[in-house]
Amino acid sequence: MAAASRGNEETFDIIGPGHSYESVTDKIASIVLSPRYDRRWLLGVLVAGGVASLLFTGILLVLLFGPGLWGNNQPVGWAFDIINFVWWIGIGHAGTLISAILLLLHQNWRTSINRYAEAMTLFAVAQAGVYPLLHIGRHQYAYWMFPLPNSMGLWPQFRSPLMWDVFAISTYMTVSALFWFVGLVPDLATLRDRSTNPIVKRLFAILCFGWRGSALHWRRYTMLYLLLAGLSTPLVLSVHTIVSFDFAVGIVPGWHSTIFPPYFVAGAVFAGFAMTLILAIPLRAICNLKDLITMRHLENMAKVMLTTGLIVFYGYIMEVFFGWYSGNQYEKYMTFENRMFGPYAWSYWALIFCNGIAPQILWWKKWRTNIPMLFTVSVIVSIGMWLERFVIIVTSLSFDFMPGMWALYFPRPVDWMIFIGTMGFFALLFLLFARFLPVISIAEMRELILHQGHHAGVAEHGTEHAPSRS
Amino acid sequence: MQDQTKTGGQAGRGGASHPAVESAPTAFVSLDEIAPSPKLDLERIRQRLEGTRGREFWRSLEEVADTPEFRRYIEREFPHAAPRDMQPLSRRNFLQLMGATLALAGISGCAYQPPEKIVPYIEQPESVVPGKPNYYATAFDRGGYAIGILGETHVGRPTKLEGNPAHPASLGATDIFTQASLLMLYDPERSRSARYLGSDQTWEQFQAAILEPIRAARARRGAGVWLLMSPSTSPTLGAQLQRFRQRFPGARVLVHDAVSRENVYAGTRMAFGQELQPVYDFAQAQRILSLDADFLTNEVANVRYAHDFMRGRRVRDGQTEMNRLYMVEGTMSLTGANADHRLGVAPSQVEAVARAIAAALGVGGANPGVLPDGVAQEWITAVANDLREHGGRSLVLAGPEQSAAVHALAHAINGAVGAVGRTVTYVEPVELRFGDSNNSLRQLTDAISANQVDALIIVGANPAYTAPADVPFAEALKSLSSGAGKVTVHMGLYEDETAALCQWHLPQSHYLEAWSDARAFDGTASIVQPLIQPLYATHSVHELVATLLEDDILTGLEIVRDYWRRRSPGTNFDDLWYQALTRGIVPNTKAPARTVSAGALALPASEAQPPTAQAAEIAFRPDPTIWDGQWANSGWLQELPKHISTLTWDNAVMMSPEMAQQLGLTKEDMVDLRLGDRTLQAAVWTVPGHPKNSVTLTLGYGRERAGRLGNGFGFNAYRLRGTDALWNASGLQIVKTGRRYPLAGTQHHFTLAAERGLIKYGTLSQLLEDPKHPPFLHQEHHGAPEDAAQDTGNDPHVGTERPGPGPEHPDVPNTLYPQMWPSDRQNPQDAGPGTYTAQGYNSQPIPAWGMVIDLNACIGCHACTIACQAENNIATVGKDQVLMNREMHWIRIDQYHTGTVEDPERVFEPVPCMHCEKAPCEPVCPVEATSHSAEGINEMTYNRCIGTRYCSNNCPYKVRRFNFLQFSDQHTPSIQLMRNPDVTTRSRGVMEKCTYCIQRINLARIEAEKEERRIEDGDVITACAQVCPTEAIIFGNINDDYSNQGRGSRVRQLKAGPFNYGLLTELNTMPRTTYLAKLRNPNPVIEPAAAHGAGGHGAAGHDAGGHGTESQGAAGAHGAAGNEEGH
Repeated sequence: MAAASRGNEETFDIIGPGHSYESVTDKIASIVLSPRYDRRWLLGVLVAGGVASLLFTGILLVLLFGPGLWGNNQPVGWAFDIINFVWWIGIGHAGTLISAILLLLHQNWRTSINRYAEAMTLFAVAQAGVYPLLHIGRHQYAYWMFPLPNSMGLWPQFRSPLMWDVFAISTYMTVSALFWFVGLVPDLATLRDRSTNPIVKRLFAILCFGWRGSALHWRRYTMLYLLLAGLSTPLVLSVHTIVSFDFAVGIVPGWHSTIFPPYFVAGAVFAGFAMTLILAIPLRAICNLKDLITMRHLENMAKVMLTTGLIVFYGYIMEVFFGWYSGNQYEKYMTFENRMFGPYAWSYWALIFCNGIAPQILWWKKWRTNIPMLFTVSVIVSIGMWLERFVIIVTSLSFDFMPGMWALYFPRPVDWMIFIGTMGFFALLFLLFARFLPVISIAEMRELILHQGHHAGVAEHGTEHAPSRS
Repeated sequence: MQDQTKTGGQAGRGGASHPAVESAPTAFVSLDEIAPSPKLDLERIRQRLEGTRGREFWRSLEEVADTPEFRRYIEREFPHAAPRDMQPLSRRNFLQLMGATLALAGISGCAYQPPEKIVPYIEQPESVVPGKPNYYATAFDRGGYAIGILGETHVGRPTKLEGNPAHPASLGATDIFTQASLLMLYDPERSRSARYLGSDQTWEQFQAAILEPIRAARARRGAGVWLLMSPSTSPTLGAQLQRFRQRFPGARVLVHDAVSRENVYAGTRMAFGQELQPVYDFAQAQRILSLDADFLTNEVANVRYAHDFMRGRRVRDGQTEMNRLYMVEGTMSLTGANADHRLGVAPSQVEAVARAIAAALGVGGANPGVLPDGVAQEWITAVANDLREHGGRSLVLAGPEQSAAVHALAHAINGAVGAVGRTVTYVEPVELRFGDSNNSLRQLTDAISANQVDALIIVGANPAYTAPADVPFAEALKSLSSGAGKVTVHMGLYEDETAALCQWHLPQSHYLEAWSDARAFDGTASIVQPLIQPLYATHSVHELVATLLEDDILTGLEIVRDYWRRRSPGTNFDDLWYQALTRGIVPNTKAPARTVSAGALALPASEAQPPTAQAAEIAFRPDPTIWDGQWANSGWLQELPKHISTLTWDNAVMMSPEMAQQLGLTKEDMVDLRLGDRTLQAAVWTVPGHPKNSVTLTLGYGRERAGRLGNGFGFNAYRLRGTDALWNASGLQIVKTGRRYPLAGTQHHFTLAAERGLIKYGTLSQLLEDPKHPPFLHQEHHGAPEDAAQDTGNDPHVGTERPGPGPEHPDVPNTLYPQMWPSDRQNPQDAGPGTYTAQGYNSQPIPAWGMVIDLNACIGCHACTIACQAENNIATVGKDQVLMNREMHWIRIDQYHTGTVEDPERVFEPVPCMHCEKAPCEPVCPVEATSHSAEGINEMTYNRCIGTRYCSNNCPYKVRRFNFLQFSDQHTPSIQLMRNPDVTTRSRGVMEKCTYCIQRINLARIEAEKEERRIEDGDVITACAQVCPTEAIIFGNINDDYSNQGRGSRVRQLKAGPFNYGLLTELNTMPRTTYLAKLRNPNPVIEPAAAHGAGGHGAAGHDAGGHGTESQGAAGAHGAAGNEEGH
C-alpha cells in the first residue's frame, strides 16, 4: 500500500498520487470497519459528551424554570438564543453549497470534502434547531408554529418572518438529510460488503436499501442525486435569506436594511467554510487523509472564504454608508454612535477585525497554504461571524428608538451553558460520524480516480464505469 | 327508573374519565346493585404482592387478588372481550379491551341525560350581582389626613380604589399610597393575631389581661400610663382620647411621627403666636414661590394641590394666563422638576434666600444676610417683583422640612403681598395635637429611665425603628418590657421592630376593614367605612381605646356612630349618617378660616454656614414610595420607580454628578457617611440638578422586621438622624469604601429626547406668538421666519414629527403603497373626525379609542403606573429582575433632561401602549397572538401567545412586557382575593401590555347597549386616567362627535388642537396615544432668551448631523409646512 505510506505528504492535486480504486476504498472503509477504537477518539467522545451534557442540563433548566433563565431583558428580547441560532444555521450552509452547487458546477475537487461538510450541515442545523424551540416563552405550544388543522380554525400568521423560518429551516433540514443519506447509499453497500462482523453487516445492509451497484441502480442514483442537488441549490440561498428577514422585516434601526439577504447568505458561506476548515484540518491529520483532502482542497476553501469574506465586508461598509446616506437619525445613531462608540463598541471593532481584516491574509498563497495560519484564520472568522450576529441583534435592540427604555444586555450562566453545550454536542455528533460512517464518499472517490486515470490515459472504460463490488 | 337514571349519569362520567378496565369496580357503581361487590381478601393480596419481585404495577386491589368475583366482573361488563384468564393478558386481548373501552366511553356520551334543574340561591344579598362591582365611599388617611375614595368591590372583595370626586382632597384622583393601600389589605404578611411574648392570644385574652393594670393605673389617676400614637385626624379618636385624659389625668398621650409637621406649627407660632394649619388655594395663585415645599408629592393635600396647580397651567381654549412656580429647594424634588425656575441650594441655605426675598418685598425683620453661592441678587429681585406685581394672586409656602423661621418668612411674605385670605387661609390644626411630636420619644425615653412608666401603649407607630439615632428608645423599650409589673402593648398592622420589643402585640385592622373617621387638610370629615369584614382577628384603635376606657360600646361602628350622634344633636341622625356614607364626606365639617394677625417678625439669627464637599450637608426626606418605612412591605411601592432617581427597592445617597466626580465616586459606589460619631454605609446615586455640596438620603429603608419584601433593602437613614437635625445636618463626611452595591434604576438614559422629537415643549411667550401653530411644534419656525427654508435643511429636528391632525392640518397618509385595508383608507386621525364609516351598534360609527397624554399637566408622580398595576393584576418582579430590566409596568414614566448637568430641566413622559393603527408588533407574531380590533385597539391574546418576543423587539416604543418567569403570584390565597376578576392573570412565557383597560370599555359598551344609547364621553375612564391628579391622561372615543353638547369627546377635541403630536410618527405607526406639548412659563427678566427658544434646545446641542431628513421630511412636517405657507 504505497498510498498509505504517503498519506501524510502534502499535495496540490485533488488526490494524492498512486491511488487506485482499491486503495481509496480501503483507506476510507478501514476507518469505519476497524474494530479498534483509537484512544484519542474515545477521549474526544468523552470530552464532547461532557460538554454536550451542559446543553442538556441547560435545556432541562430552561424547561423547568422558564425563559427567565436566559439573560434576555426588556429591550433585548433576543440575544444568545437567536445569535447562536443564526450562527449555527450559517455554519450549516457550507455543506449543501459544496455538495449541491459545486456538483452542478462540476467542481470535482469537492468530492473529498462534501460528505463531511454535509454531515456538518446536518449537525449544525440540529444545533440551530434547539434554539427557536427553547427560546420561546411557552415551549409546550411550540407546535402552534406549524399549520396544523384544529377545531378553532387557527392558523399561523404567514406574514411573520418567524413563520417563514419554520418552513425554510425544516425544508432545508429535510432536504439536506435526504441528500446526505442518498449520497451515502453506495458507500453503505461497500461497507456492507467489506464488513466481517455479521451484526454490522446486517446494519449496513438495511441502511443501503439492498444496493447492488447495478447499472440501473446507478442510473437512478445519479438522477436522484442530481435532482436533490438541484433542489438544494435554491435552498442554500433561501434559508439564510429568510433568516435575514427576521431582522430586515423588523423596523429596528440596524435591522431594517435591504442589504441583509445577500450579505447574510455570503456570511453563511463564509462561516460555513471556516467551520469546514476547522474540522478538515484536524480530521485529515488524525485519519491520515492528507492525500484525499489535499492542500488543493484547503486552498480552494480558503479562496471561497476570502471571496465571501469580501462580500461580507462590503456589507459592513454599505451599512455604514446607508447609515450616513439615509439621513435617518436613528440609523445614523445606530451606526456611528452606538455600534462604533457605544458600550458594545468592542464587539463592532472585533467584528471588523475578525471578518474584515484577518481574512485578507488569504490573498497570499504562502499564508493560505500555511496550515496553522489557515486554521487560525478560520477560527477568527467563526468568532467574527458570531460577533456579527451579536452586533446586529444585541447592539441594535439595546438602543433603538426610545432612550427611556435603553438598557444593556448581559448573558447569564444558562446562555453560556447552552451555547458551549451545542458546541460539545456538535463535536460529539461529528466524532461519532467520523468513526461510524465514511467521512469521504468512497464511490465518488473511485469515480475521481477513474477520471484522473482517464486523463492520464490509464483507464480504459470511460465514464460508464461502475465500481465493482469488492 | 330512578336507578337507571343514576346509572346512566355515573357510567357516562366514569367511562369518560377512566378507562373502564382500570377502575371497573369503582366506575360502574350501578353494578353493585346487580351483583354484590366482590369481597376483598386483604391477606391474599398481601401474600401475592409479597410474592412478586421487582416493581409490578397493579391496577386495583381486586385485580391483585384475582378473585373469581373480579373475573366475573370483567366478564359481565365485556361479555365477549373479557379474557378467559386475566393473566397473562395477551397483547391481542389488551388491544381489544382498550378498543372497547374507548368505544364505550364514546357511546356513553350519547346516553340521554334527564334534565335536572338547579335553583339559584334565592336570598341573594341585596345589590350583590356576581360580575358586577359595587362602589362604596370611604377615606384613606395618609399621615392622618384623609383622602376620600370610592372602593370597588367584587362580591365583597375590595379590588380597586378610586378617588371620590366629592372629596376636597381627592376630586376623583388619588396618589400612589392610596393605590398601594389595597395591596396592604391583602398583604399575606400582615399581623393576624394578638401575641403575648411571642405566643398567640385572642383579643378577649388581651382585654382581660389589660384590665388589671388599667384599674391599678386608674387608682393612681393614670400616673405611669403612656400612650404613644401615630398622627391622626380622627374626630372620634380625638373625643375618645379626651375622655381618656379626663379619666386618667396623670396619663400622658404623645404623638410620634418620623415625618412630622412640627415646623409648620412652629412657623405659625412664630408668625401668629398660635398653631394653625395653612390651606392653600393653588387654583387662584398666579405666582407661586415654594421654599422647599414639595407640595406635589409630600404635602398633606398633594393630590388636590397638584390638581389645582396644573389647572392654572392649562393654556387652552383662548386662555392666555398661566401660573409661574419658583422653587427654592435643598434637594431635587418632583415639585422642583415641575418649576419654571428652580434654585437648588443646600437645605440650610433656603432660609437665606427666603430672607433675601422677604427683605426685597419689604418684610420687616427679615435681616437678609449673605446669599448662597450661585444665587444672584437679580434673581431675588425678579422673584420679589413678580410676587409683588401679582399681589393677592401670589402664594408663598414653605415645606415641613424647613425651619420655623422659613415658615414665618413665608407667612410674612404672604401677608406683605396680600395673599392671606385669598390664596392662603389658616384653619385650626386638623391633626390631633398632643405637644411637640418631635420631642415625644425623648420624653418617653427619659421617663422610662426615670422609672415613671408602668404601662406603655404604642398605636400605629414604629418608634423602635424610626427613633432618631440620639434617642435610645429601643433599648429603653426593651428594658421596660422586661421590667417587673410593667405592661407594654403595641398595636399595628405588622409585627414590626417595635412589636418585637413589646410584651403584647395587637393586630390593627386595615382601614378597609374597620370603622373610623378622618379629616382632610381643610377639616372636612369623612367616615371611614369598611369594605370588608376583617380578614384576620384584628381590631381598630377605637376599640383599643374603648377597652382602655372600659366603655360599654366596644365595637368600631357603634363607637364612631356614637360620636357623630352626639355631635349632631337635633338632626335626623340616620339621614345624616346615610348621607355621610353615600357621599363620602360629612356635611358642613369644613374648618372655618381663621383671621390671623401677624406680629412683628422676630427671627432667630441664622448661623447656617454654606457646606463644602469635605463638610457636606445631608437632607433627610421621606421616601417617595415607602415614606418613613411604613410601606416597606408593599411590593407595588417598592417596585414603583422613585421619581427623579428611578430607583426601585432601595434608597441611596443622592448627590449631584459634579460632587460625585469631586469625591471620585460613581453610581453604586458604597460610601461611609460620617456625621459626628454616627456612621452609615450607603450606596451613591447621582442626580443631575441636586444642590452642590449636599446629599439627600430618604428614610424608610434598612428595615429588619418589615416582612419579606421590606427586610434588608436599602440603608437606614435613622441611624444618622438626630433630634436636633431631623431634616438636614451639616458636617457630613463622605468616604469612599471601594465596595459596590447594585442599585435597580429603571431608566439609564436621560437625554436625546428632543432630538428624537419625543418631547415637544416651549414657553408661554412662544405659544402666544401664534397660538394656532405653536412654533415649537412646527420646528421649522423656531428660527427667524426668513431662515425657515435654510433651517429645514440643517436642523436635526426637522421632519421627525408630524403635527397632529385636525382642521388646520389636512393630512394624507404618508405612504406610497395602495391602501389595502379599510383602516388604512379611513384612518380617523388622518381622514379627519367623523369619517369612520364602518357600521357599529345602532348604525352609529363604531368607536375609535384613543388617548391623549398632556405633558404639560404630567407631574411625574407615577400614580398612573401603580393604578394600572392594581387594575390589571400586574405582577411585581423583585429587585434582581428589575436589575435585569424586566419590570412589568404597563405604563412607565420616561424622564428626559435638557439643559445643563448642573441644573437640567426635566420632562416626564408617561408611555403606555400607543395602540398603533399600523402596529409593527402585529405582523411579526408567528401565531397571531396580537391583533387589531375593529375599534382600533391593539389586542393581546394571552392564550395564543407562545412568547417569541418578536413583537417586543419590533415595538419602537418598547411598551410590551414579557413574563420571563412566573411573575404572577397564583398561589397566595389573600392575593387571589385582590385580583380584578375582569382581567386575566398572566402565566410564564406570555407577552403582555397596556390594553386601554379593555375590561372597562367592555363594561361601558354593555351598559350602553342595554340602555340602547351610544357610549358617551366619560363612560370609559382608564385606570391611569382616573387616578391622575392633574387630569394629564384623557381617554375616549375619537369618533365621538356627539358628546359634550355636540362638541365631541374631549380626546377628539384635544387631538384636533394645536398641541397634539405623536411619538415616532415618521415610522408610520399612526399611534392612537398622542401627546400634548409641554409649556413653561419662565420669567422673561430671569430668562430673556425664553422668547426666542427655550425647551427642546438644550438637548439639541448634540450634533445630529446636518442632512436633510428627506424621507421623513416629505412625509411629515414639511408637508404640513408647505400647506400652511400656501394658505
